Formats: sequence, C-alpha cells, structure tokens
Amino acid sequence: MKRSKRFEILDERPVHQDGFIKEWPEAGLIAMEGPEDPKPSVHIENGKIVELDGKKREDFDMLDQFIADHTLDVDIIEDVMAQDSRELAHKIVDVNVSRDAVKRLGLGMTPAKVVEVIGHMNVVEMMFAVQKMRARKTPSNQCHVTNVKDHPALLAADAAEAALRGFDELETTVGIVRYAPSNAISIMVGGQTGRGGVLTQCAVEEAMELEMGMRGFTAYAETVSVYGTEQVFVDGDDTPWSKSFLASGYASRGLKMRYTSGTGSEAEMGFADGKSMLYLEARCLYMTKGAGVQGIQNGSISCVGVPGAVPSGVRAMLAENLIAMILDLECASGNDQTFTHSRTRRTARMLMQFLPGTDFIFSGYSAVPNYDNMFAGSTHDVDDYDDYLTLQRDLKVNGGLVPVDEEDVIKIRNKGAKALQAVFKELGMPDITDEEVEAATYAHGSKDMPDRDVREDFRGIEDMLNRGTTGVAIVQALEKNGFEDVAENFFNLLKQRIAGDYLHTSAIFDENFHCISAVNDQNDYAGPGTGYRVPDELWEKLKNIRFARDPEDIGE
Amino acid sequence: MQLNEDAIRQIVVDVLSGMSDQGGNSETKSYSPDRSGNMVLRETGRASEGRDNDEVVIAIGPAFGNKLSKTMTEVSHSEILREVMAGIEEEGVKARIVKNYVTADVGFMGHQAAQISGSGIGIGLQSKGTILIHQKDLNPLANLELFPQAPLVDLPTYRQIGKNAARYAKGENPEPVTTKNDQMARPKYQAISAVLYNKEVKYLDPNKKVVEIEVEFK
Repeated sequence: MKRSKRFEILDERPVHQDGFIKEWPEAGLIAMEGPEDPKPSVHIENGKIVELDGKKREDFDMLDQFIADHTLDVDIIEDVMAQDSRELAHKIVDVNVSRDAVKRLGLGMTPAKVVEVIGHMNVVEMMFAVQKMRARKTPSNQCHVTNVKDHPALLAADAAEAALRGFDELETTVGIVRYAPSNAISIMVGGQTGRGGVLTQCAVEEAMELEMGMRGFTAYAETVSVYGTEQVFVDGDDTPWSKSFLASGYASRGLKMRYTSGTGSEAEMGFADGKSMLYLEARCLYMTKGAGVQGIQNGSISCVGVPGAVPSGVRAMLAENLIAMILDLECASGNDQTFTHSRTRRTARMLMQFLPGTDFIFSGYSAVPNYDNMFAGSTHDVDDYDDYLTLQRDLKVNGGLVPVDEEDVIKIRNKGAKALQAVFKELGMPDITDEEVEAATYAHGSKDMPDRDVREDFRGIEDMLNRGTTGVAIVQALEKNGFEDVAENFFNLLKQRIAGDYLHTSAIFDENFHCISAVNDQNDYAGPGTGYRVPDELWEKLKNIRFARDPEDIGE
Repeated sequence: MQLNEDAIRQIVVDVLSGMSDQGGNSETKSYSPDRSGNMVLRETGRASEGRDNDEVVIAIGPAFGNKLSKTMTEVSHSEILREVMAGIEEEGVKARIVKNYVTADVGFMGHQAAQISGSGIGIGLQSKGTILIHQKDLNPLANLELFPQAPLVDLPTYRQIGKNAARYAKGENPEPVTTKNDQMARPKYQAISAVLYNKEVKYLDPNKKVVEIEVEFK
C-alpha cells in the first residue's frame, strides 16, 4: 500500500511509543467492568457476614474475611446494598447530599457494589465527586526528591527548594540502598530549612523504613503495599494482618503513615483471578479501611503502564481515588510515575486530580529533573514548574505550588546544603565540602555535582547508625552551628509524634506547625461558593508568575 | 547433613582437582561449544540436587522456549539461552538447565535454582526476558544481581550475566554487570510485560515441580 503522508507523520508521534494493548479479561487486563467481576451481594446471620459478593464464608479468601470482619458495617449494609447502584451514584455526585451522608454509605457497600456504583459515572462526574468527597478541604501536593548519585548536599538543596515552592510532603528513595539513612536526613534537614512543618519520608524496604522513622530521620511512611488477591499478597510474603501490625507499629510511635495500592499490580504479577483492575483495587481499599490506616497512596502508582495501556484505564485511576475518598481515607492520588511518551496524555491524566483537588494531587511531583528521579521518573518534573504554575493561574486552581523568585531559591538551596554540611560534620559523617555546597546551590541536577566517595559515605553512615544516632543529635548539631531556626523546626517536627495530632486523616502542617487535617479542615463542599476556594492572599501570589509582563512597562 | 557414598566421592574428587589447580580457579578456560540453530528442549524427569560445585543452574520459566518463543523485545529464547550458557562455559563452569513449574517469579525461580545448584549459584530466567543471579544462602527476595528492565538487556549482556554467575560459582567476587535505566521503558513495555507474564503463569503445574532439561541446538 502506498502510505498516506498524514499517517506517516502520525506514526512518528510520541504517543506511538506507548505500549497499548487490547483488553484480555481472563488475565485481569481490563480496567473496569470486568465480565468476571462478582455480582454484589451480602448475607448476614447472627450479626456476622456469611456471604460477600457471591461467595460463602467457607469459600472466603483472606481479603474477604478481613473485609467482612473488620471493614464493613453490618448495621447498615443490608439497607445500603438494597439501594439501586445508579441511585447511589447520584447521591455521591449530588451537591445536596452531604459528604458525611455519603461517607456512611461507603461502609455499607461491598467492594463489588462500590465498583458497580462508580461504573455509572463518567470522569466529569467522578471529578465532581472528588471535589466533594476528598477528606481535607484544602488541597495539597507531594514531591519526590532523589538523585542518581544519592548526593546529600544536592538532596538537601532540592528539599529546601521544594519546601519553598509549596510542597507539603517530600519523599525520597535511594539509588543504592545503603544510602537510605543519609538521604532521609538530607531531605529532612533541607525540608525544614525551606519551610518548617513539611513532612518527609524515605521509601525503602519496610524494616529499614520503620527503623528510620523510629530514629526520627523521617516524619511519615507511605510505601507499605497492599494487594487485591491472596496470591499476590502471599508472593509479597505478607497478609492483611501482617500489614495491619506494621501500620500499628507506626501509629504506636506517633508517626503518620498510609498504605500504597493501585490498579494493575495484580495483573502485572500474574494473579488477577480474571477480575478487573478496579474491582481488585476496591478490595485493597476496603482492606486498608479495615486495618484502621488513615490513608492511601493510589492511582495505579508503579504499575501505571498496565491500566494506562487498556481502554478506560485513566478513568479507572480516577475511580480508585474516588473510592478511597468515599471510604474517608486520605488520598495521595498518583500522577507520580511516567506512563506515557505523550505530553498531551500526561497532562490530561493529571487534570483529573488537579481540577477537583485532592489531599495530595501528585504522590510525587518530581522536584528534581526526571533523570535524577529514582522512583523511575514522575509525570511532571522541575522543567515543568512554569507550565504548572501557568495552569494554576489560567484556571484559578490551587495545585499546591506557588511562584518563587530565583534569588530566594538560590538562597534557600544554599542554606539547606550548608545546614546539612554542619549536621554531617557533627554526626561524624564524611565532609560535605564548600565546593559541593556551591555546586548544589546552583545545580539543575546531579550532572552538575562532583562524585562522592561512596565507600567513605557507607562507612560514615554505618558508624553513625552504630552510635545510636537519632533526630535529637541532628537538632543539637543545627543549634550548635548557628542554624537555630532550622533546629527549632526539626525539633518541632520530632515533638509532633508525642502530640499525635498529625495521625488524624489527611494531616499536614502549616509553617507555624498548626496541624491541618480532615478534623479541623473538613471538606464541606456543597455546591458553588462552598468548600475550598482559592483565598485572596494566595490568588495574588498565583497570579504573579515571574514571566507575566506589567502593562505599565510595555512600550515605555 | 547426610552424606552418602556418592557425595563423599565427589568431595574427594573436588579436593583433588582443587589441589592440582595450583593458581586457584579464577583463570578463564575458553570453552564454548558451537551452538547454531534453534534450541529444542527435552524434559528428562525431576531435577536433582547437583553435586558438582562447578555448575550453575539456570531455571527457565514454564513457558520458556516451547510454549513461548520470544521476549517482550522479540528476542528469541534460543539466542538468550545460548548466550547465557556460553557465558557460563567461557569461565570453565557447566551450565545445567531446569524448568520450574511451581513458580514463574524470577526471584523464587533463581532462588530455587541456587538450592539445587552444586555451586549454590542459580539463575532465574523468565519468558519475558527478565533474569537474575541468585545464591543459595540468600533470602528469596534478595539476589546477587537483578536486571529488572529486561527490554534493555541485550545479547552480549545476557552472556556477561552468565559469565558473572560462573565467577560467583568459582568463589570470585566479580564487578556486577552494568545495568541500564530508561524511565520510558515502563510506558513502552509494562503492559506487554504483563501480557507475557500472564501467558507464562498459565503453564504453571505444581505437580510437575522442577524438571531437568536437556537442550539441543539444531
């Protein structure tokens, strides 16, 4: 066939690099409305659920059992299940039905029921429901701070800048595992330099993550994964009960934590039992609720290439965020992993959360260039900052970022790196040189940084851990070296685990360490003019992107 | 530990061969049989525990080489196995192939291979092309070297992975094979990978356990 020139050009577009596939329901490669998804049902005898979504109790797998015994509300479930799914979908979207009323319905629906209900909605209705159902009234954003070299000075500088730019949570992970404590300390010091009260965490293997939390090197935890089929849970060497135990480990020491789940993981791991991705994700969410965990990171996350490749996959990612919110869980709503070569697709996918606002629109916007992103790249990175700020300004949306001055950014990066330099010296870690501080101050990414002596760093980290170092030593180091304000912020953050306020759903801190959560900042959306509105003071900031010209200066 | 007569004989042989091998056993003996054409796999019964400490066991996935023939980047299974085996043999170590019907998880396959490998070193190799090197004493979810982004592993790298596995088997501590990273591998291949893995697990058959494979290239 003689080729059409138009088709030849189309074939070269970035979207053609994406690996799309047709649905394969038997393998779970279907986003929503799977032909083998169970029909919703529930039966109660003597106050106990004996049938759930077509399965008798004797046939329950461990997720069914956990959800039946720990999540669902037997007092209301028969009544809610009897309601028509389309009617329930209407209630979720209807501005005249309060968030509280819908929240109560959540525990009266089985996983199959909630999926059937959400299946009646298109994405606009889902976004509308997200606007009403997210737990915290004020939307917020989270970022990734990592680099290929695990360079501490660069991590501190990047964390300081990210905090200044408005992110409320900062998350790091490692290139090489043994750097984990160094990375955790680096972003916590940098973060508290940029703005007191930002929360930081380090995503690594669960035992290490817990230990760093206990030592006061992190302020929350997120990478505790749950799955929607028994087989995948077992392959991960876990059960709902072991995950619940881990969650209570954090809670008992006053540390905020959330689980992670997302569509596509079960199909990716080969054991989706022929169920749709959204149905399996609903099971994860009901399990999370039953464990008493305050929140979830979902929106497919690391398996995003799987739902992203099938029809209605991006819609399913929004649907899973919404189910989390109906269950009154904090939702850090994804947008955190590269899933496409197409700039159009990634923006469209992000608008689903950006427009209605979520607890954390990204569960990792890349606050470093994507080549330094050790979470395998995010959908948006530092080079997109000005586009993102412009979207906020175009649409009058608070996406969690504020415009900043170049000079302020340089100053805060320098201070973050210097504060960490002092901490490293006092903790007996290998020196951060003045040259490294200088490079980190002006860097775009790790390509602009000198290499570290990795072996020396490992030795220093090991010694530091062996001496039983905790966050208190870091506070002392900062105080002793003239970083009193950073020391105070760091110390304040450590104190929060005794106060416990930030264990409430969707908690973040403002710069004065006032806790903002679903308890004191309840989402009360009830139609136009209610709920969250961009405050005037913030709008003045959002309007003033640095590249908008003043009419007065034009032509004069 | 139980020692039968065969095992004792093997230990004696090993000790004697070690004594004659004066300069240690790190030198490379270039031995690589000519293998052209496509491979034919023949199952010869339940896999046994190896007693030769100069072997590396390669566990291939249940669909590898007969039910499926190509990885997610369409590289033929024949070529990959040929390269991994050649890499091992270049180091003067034997390559033994088994097929795991109990699990298709690359970590558990590699770990299982290491358990029955005389040297304690095993390789897990999935039909989609994901490969890792494992050691007997490690936790199943750990590994010596893992290559998670299979689309970025080319044939010379597969050979190098075989070579490194052999060097671990000889008690050496080789430089890990350089891994590549491309964040765009996910959007391009993640769903394809899921399709292939789901095809692979269809051929799991716990009753067959782990079987010995005779491989012939023709």
